[in-house]
Amino acid sequence: MSRRVCVVGVGLADGPLTPGMNANMLIAQAFRRALDDAGMEQSEIDGLASAGYGGMHEVAVAEYLGIRPRWLDSTAVGGSSFEFHLQHAYRAVEAGDVDTVAIVYGNPQVSERGRSLGTGRQFALVGPMAWEVPTGITLVGCYAIAAQRHMYQYGTTPEQLASIAVQIREHAAHNPNAMHRDPITVDDVLSSKLVADPLHKLDCCVISDGGCAVIVTTEERAKHLRKKPVYVRGAASGMTHHSIQAMPDLTETVAKHTGAKAFADAGIAPADVDTFQMYDSFTYTVLVCLEDLGFCKKGEGGPFAASGALRVGGALPTNTDGGGLSATHPGMRGLFLICEAARQLRGEAGAAQVSGAEIAVAHGSGGWLSTMGTVVLGSEPVR
Amino acid sequence: MSDPMPGRGFPSGEEWPRQLIPAITVEAAEYFAGAMRGELRIQRCTECGKHQHYPRVLCSHCGADAIEWITASGRGTLYSFTVIRQNGVPVFKERQPFVVALVDLDEPGARMIASMPTVEPAEARIGMAVRAVFRPVSDDVALVDFEPAD
Repeated sequence: MSRRVCVVGVGLADGPLTPGMNANMLIAQAFRRALDDAGMEQSEIDGLASAGYGGMHEVAVAEYLGIRPRWLDSTAVGGSSFEFHLQHAYRAVEAGDVDTVAIVYGNPQVSERGRSLGTGRQFALVGPMAWEVPTGITLVGCYAIAAQRHMYQYGTTPEQLASIAVQIREHAAHNPNAMHRDPITVDDVLSSKLVADPLHKLDCCVISDGGCAVIVTTEERAKHLRKKPVYVRGAASGMTHHSIQAMPDLTETVAKHTGAKAFADAGIAPADVDTFQMYDSFTYTVLVCLEDLGFCKKGEGGPFAASGALRVGGALPTNTDGGGLSATHPGMRGLFLICEAARQLRGEAGAAQVSGAEIAVAHGSGGWLSTMGTVVLGSEPVR
Repeated sequence: MSDPMPGRGFPSGEEWPRQLIPAITVEAAEYFAGAMRGELRIQRCTECGKHQHYPRVLCSHCGADAIEWITASGRGTLYSFTVIRQNGVPVFKERQPFVVALVDLDEPGARMIASMPTVEPAEARIGMAVRAVFRPVSDDVALVDFEPAD
């Protein structure tokens, strides 16, 4: 049995700051909105995927939501976990192991833990981290050390990196739930505080609260639901390293492989992509993945981004909701990428709508360029 | 190999926070024993000839269980670096900005992350020659920093 698989419901919790709401409340709010968006009942959900921060997390979430899934996925590989979940759910629904899967996430990151994620806390000296933490490296520093090598090797400039933050900020202006909506310039980015050379404060994503839910099911079921189905056309995932010292090449990520596989399965080339929802933890994350996914040649991510390609109206409208750089980053952002990709393909993106969008790519990155997943969605199935 | 010498930029001994002292795992005992003597001990695979850091029981390059320990030259080349200007952990916050580097050791296959607490941030350059220095932080753990070799 092989069945086509569709995204049929998406929901966002309130944001960007929700003091007084805990993780389960954010998840439940987003889940309820995704059900309403799809026109489905809670009882129809027979699969659940989630990534959280503790043992049996997704089991506790299922109990809280009052569902008893017969298919569970608790893959937890950092911010890209949700692209892995979508890949797994896609294949499981396709194969008939499960009919309808909800992928959920919620985290009051800033309200409960402040803005310490990137530089403010000491990671435990466990596993490979025992070799890294005593050096004084930070999470931001791991991305910075990679960006520095790219600059050395390819002549990438801080201005080119900054242009990514500037363009994504333009999109945030249209998102009422964005942390920051006022326009910024390249000079604003370069004159913001250096956190870890070459990354400035405005090269780094925001820390927010947030929650999101995405529901996938069969094409057969999707035809009878409220919204236009969005087809899953391809998905692939992989990893290269845990510690940054074990990353084989700081200028090339596993996106080279996940993109090639997902695009081949989807029957598309990079030039066919109408909108790109990219995990913009840092400006460099976007730049290196533009290259690795084939939107430009290796080493040309800087000039490509600085050309204005990422704007709505540009060659590759990217992070049309304002991304993590300006809108929403509640600890992990991967699920929000899929949500925005689906909204674009339904024509629901408002002022940030890419006209006639038929192919959208969501690409998640977790850890420090460690784990990545590429998802290709389309308004039509693979022929 | 240089004599053991304390890092000049980061504290050694009792002044180094206990929670930043790594546990000596079974695989890493040889590494830390060497570091206390001022030797950089790394692993070499007798099957493929490549080196690795950190210590493991298999070769991370070819998967062979043919690991031997060698004393590395302690010399390497700076593959990349960053200047940490914001770290909330007090011992680092009090000393920022400082350089953290990825060093390709002269022994092929081994790359290690290390702080360069004595180098001026403006002097760090990708490709520069560097050498290991050893900073004891307890009776049985010395951390390995790097400094310019010239």
